[in-house]
Amino acid sequence: MLVVGHLYPELLNLYGDRGNLIAFVRRCAWRGIPVTVRELVLGAPVDFGALDFLFIGGGSDREQGILIEDLHRHRDSLCEAIEGGLVVLAICGGYQVLGHYYQTPDRVIPGLGLLDFYTQAGPKRLIGNCAVEIELDGRPVSVAGFENHSGQTFLGRVQPLGRVLAGFGNNGVDGTEGARYKNVFCSYLHGPLLPKNPCLTDHLISLALKRAGMEMPLVALDDHLEERAVAAALKRAGVTVSGKT
Amino acid sequence: MDAKLLFAISCGKAAARGSRMLGRPGSSLPGKVALKVYPWTLRDLAARAQQGTILVTGTNGKTTTNNMLARILQQAGARVICNREGANLITGVTTAFLRETTLFGQMEFDWAVLEVDEASFPGVAAQVDPRLVVVTNFFRDQLDRYGELDRTVAVIRDAVERLPETRLVLNADDPLVAQFGELGPSAVYYGLAPHARVVERRFRVREARFCPRCGGALHYAFYHYSQLGLFRCPNCGFRRPAPEVEGLQARYQGERVACTIRFGEKEFPLELPTQGFYNLYNALAAFAAGMTLGLEPGQVVPSLETYEPATGRLQRFRYRDKPVYLNLVKNPAGFNEALNLLYTNEGAKDVFIAVNDNAADGRDISWLWDVDFEVLEELQRDVAGFVCSGLRAEEMGVRLKYAGVQPAKILVEPDLKAAVHRTLKGNGAQAFFFATYTALWPVEKLLRTRVTPEGRGRDVGCRPSLP
Ligand SMILES: [Zn+2]
Repeated sequence: MLVVGHLYPELLNLYGDRGNLIAFVRRCAWRGIPVTVRELVLGAPVDFGALDFLFIGGGSDREQGILIEDLHRHRDSLCEAIEGGLVVLAICGGYQVLGHYYQTPDRVIPGLGLLDFYTQAGPKRLIGNCAVEIELDGRPVSVAGFENHSGQTFLGRVQPLGRVLAGFGNNGVDGTEGARYKNVFCSYLHGPLLPKNPCLTDHLISLALKRAGMEMPLVALDDHLEERAVAAALKRAGVTVSGKT
Repeated sequence: MDAKLLFAISCGKAAARGSRMLGRPGSSLPGKVALKVYPWTLRDLAARAQQGTILVTGTNGKTTTNNMLARILQQAGARVICNREGANLITGVTTAFLRETTLFGQMEFDWAVLEVDEASFPGVAAQVDPRLVVVTNFFRDQLDRYGELDRTVAVIRDAVERLPETRLVLNADDPLVAQFGELGPSAVYYGLAPHARVVERRFRVREARFCPRCGGALHYAFYHYSQLGLFRCPNCGFRRPAPEVEGLQARYQGERVACTIRFGEKEFPLELPTQGFYNLYNALAAFAAGMTLGLEPGQVVPSLETYEPATGRLQRFRYRDKPVYLNLVKNPAGFNEALNLLYTNEGAKDVFIAVNDNAADGRDISWLWDVDFEVLEELQRDVAGFVCSGLRAEEMGVRLKYAGVQPAKILVEPDLKAAVHRTLKGNGAQAFFFATYTALWPVEKLLRTRVTPEGRGRDVGCRPSLP
């Protein structure tokens, strides 16, 4: 049984991000892999060590302010789980809280400091279709989504998730998008990211199975709809692709 | 007559002629030009209303409520200026006045009845000094354009607070709207009483799980849809206000929705020539506004019962013997309500969904993942096929697949014309067309060439534009 956690589903639910969980769960179900989803709500006790996959979505600044206090109480548990191989997908606001801090125009929101990066509010919101090339098992894959963030993130000693093909990415300057550390995948891409980028979804499922001690080759699924959708999204982002990604 | 205003009017009208010559409808350009020339154009023109100006705002139901109210007033013998759907920014509102004025600035009218976009509301309200403001509901809508819902509500709240003389007509069932009752202007509430169909399915999109006054968790005795329902806050005591105008025994009668309107002690039966419980809300809002303006229920109810839906507001057509419906979808709450129609109608149907991601649709289509398409996992038994179209047809197909719709029932056809054709030729006994904003008009046009529209015309609430 894969155990999936959805962190603060009531607060972090912007821009259809729950679609990432829908995709993860469906692609497991289509292969007969049993999954259980736990909603991790504010103020309740959480055992991150018992999870195989954790999803953290984006929220508004107000919601981020509410949850950061609660999250700080779980910092050590989350840190230990991540070092132990917990698979994490963190999007936008959920990504920002894993770094050192988020400097807004009027205050500094302290982050968990689990990954080496910081975020500061930029002069304008970075909004639009975005395409990124990421590497999965040594193979380049083009993924697409929609970004909408005023925070600009700068990476320290941590790998980016990928290279921006179109759009802004982390900060609109250095061509990086997201962050990657052990089994933690961070990204600014809404859209949501996983449904139309099934290679990435399957990669996360494989890693979660490995962590659960259920390592197995994944049965191939018919992904032609998803492939058409990512091609359309890449095209809207201004990237032309030849052949399959 | 002020020379600056006259000059602004002539510039606006010249712009209207220019844009018509270019083959564009020009629903906002004349207003834009006139406001540029003279920033108080809107204020000065609105001040000519013999009776006053009424503004309708909120996320969903603006157009229908506005057109219903305009129709009620017209049938009561008033001369009404009304903006047409889509032109609900300050420029479009100004254009509505320019269209009705002569080059010499002459126009005579009793009421201006205007639907106003939430973000434009403060700017418009500051110029027109409304006598009445109707607020329908607040849902998430095109977030990339407006920012967060919190901010939208706050902006309108601030604007309403600056209108102490204005009367408010508020939806009692929406905590985000009902909270405005405390702001000072005197408020009249409308709402729906619990009925047989109250939330058989619990939708996930609820904006106000938290009390807008104190931030505590709200308790609900029932939901109508989204966050609309009988709510109370155990923490601070904020609760659904008792509505002066209440819809009792809401129900379907064939292809129509019906209820009994309770107004004070009296009751009046109402049957709308359209579907969707949200249209009862729109009718109750228009009724409550009519009562506030001193009209008689006996005048208002017949106007509502002969209302004809505007473009894409559950507009009805017929293809051979098949009923065909066209409905605009623009946010999760509205789309959930549209899906509701699929299971209030018996029998097999074909479903068409066109999703565009142009600026007017909202470039971010992530919101599709906040719609509870998961209800289709069960409902698909009654659906012959889904045709996904528009610029993001493929993404829509993926959304349905991940909601649990069998891939064999999903056809992705980005070309609107081919997709409309395929849907009409489907095996269903009815066809439902759902389209985002910029896909709506092309789809309507395609439908018009192939099917017979029902009713005499559209936009009946508004007078057709003068040349
Ligand atoms: Zn409260």
